Amino acid sequence: MDKKDTYLIVVAVVICIVICCLSPYIASGDPDGLEKSAEDSGLAEDFSIEEIKGIPNAVFPDYAFANDPDNQALQIVALVIGAILTLVVGYGVAEIVRNR
Amino acid sequence: MHIPDGFIPIAQCLVYYVILIVALYFSVKWARSNLDEKRIPLLAVLAAGIFAIMSMNMPIPFGTSGHMVGGALVAIVFLAPEAAVLVFTVVLLIQALIFGDGGITALGANVLNMAIIGGFVGLYTFKFLQGTIGKYPAAGIGAWLATVIAALACAIEMAIAGTFPVNVGIPSMVLYHFFIGIIEAVLTVIVLVALDKFRPDLLAWNKSEGDA
Repeated sequence: MDKKDTYLIVVAVVICIVICCLSPYIASGDPDGLEKSAEDSGLAEDFSIEEIKGIPNAVFPDYAFANDPDNQALQIVALVIGAILTLVVGYGVAEIVRNR
Repeated sequence: MHIPDGFIPIAQCLVYYVILIVALYFSVKWARSNLDEKRIPLLAVLAAGIFAIMSMNMPIPFGTSGHMVGGALVAIVFLAPEAAVLVFTVVLLIQALIFGDGGITALGANVLNMAIIGGFVGLYTFKFLQGTIGKYPAAGIGAWLATVIAALACAIEMAIAGTFPVNVGIPSMVLYHFFIGIIEAVLTVIVLVALDKFRPDLLAWNKSEGDA
C-alpha cells in the first residue's frame, strides 16, 4: 500500500473515532423516520408482524454493552469496535472481489 | 430507515434476499473488472465512515431524527451502484448481527432500499443533472432524492407486509425523509468536495472525464 493510501486510512479512522466519541453525547434520541412512521401507524414499540425465532442476541445491542446500556464511555467503545470491524471486513471483502 | 426483524413476514424477506443475491452477483462481477487495487482502501474507509455516521442521528422537525445513509455517495464516488451494494452488505450485516440495528431477516430489504434504490437514484440523478447544474449540486440533489425514494420504497414494502397502512406509512416516511434527505445531501457533498480536493485520483468522475 502506498503512503497516500495509508494516509487515507489514518485520516478516515481518526474521523470515525471522532464521530464515535461524539455520538453517544450529541446524537438525537428521538425516534428515526421509520420508528416515527411506525408510531404514526399506531404500532407498539415491540411490534412484530410474525414472531421470528432463532435470531441470535446482538453482542452490543443498540451500540452499547448489554450489562450497562447507559454507560456512554462503553457506547464509544462499542462504536469504535464496530467502525474498525467494518473497515477490516470491508477491506477483506474488497480484496477478495477485486480485479486481478 | 433500518427495518427491524418482525416488520416483514419471512416469506417476503426471502424475496428480498433473492434480490440481494442477484445484486451481489452483479456487484462481484463489477468488482472483478472495475475494482482496482488502489480503490480497496477507499471502499473500506467508506464502509467504516458510513457505519460511524449512522450512529449520529440529527434532529429534524416533528420530534424525529435521522442520519446520513450514504448509498448515493458510494455510487457517485465509484460511478457504480454495484459498489454501494458491496459496502452496504458489509455495513448492514455487521449492524444487524452485532449491534441489533436493522433485522437479520430484513437484510435483503435494507440493502435494496439503502444501496440498490439509494445508489441507483443517487447516481442517475447525478448523471442526469451534472451537465446542466454542475457536479456538486447534482450530487446533492441526487443524495436528497435517493433518501426520499428509498423511504418511499420502504413505506411500500411496509404496506405490502401489512405493517404500515398505505395512507399513513407513505406520507409519514416521505415527510420525515424529506428533511433527513437534506442531511444526506449536505454530508454527501462535503465528502465529495474533500475527496476531490485531497484524493482526486480516487474519484471515478475524474477518471471517466477523458473517456466521455
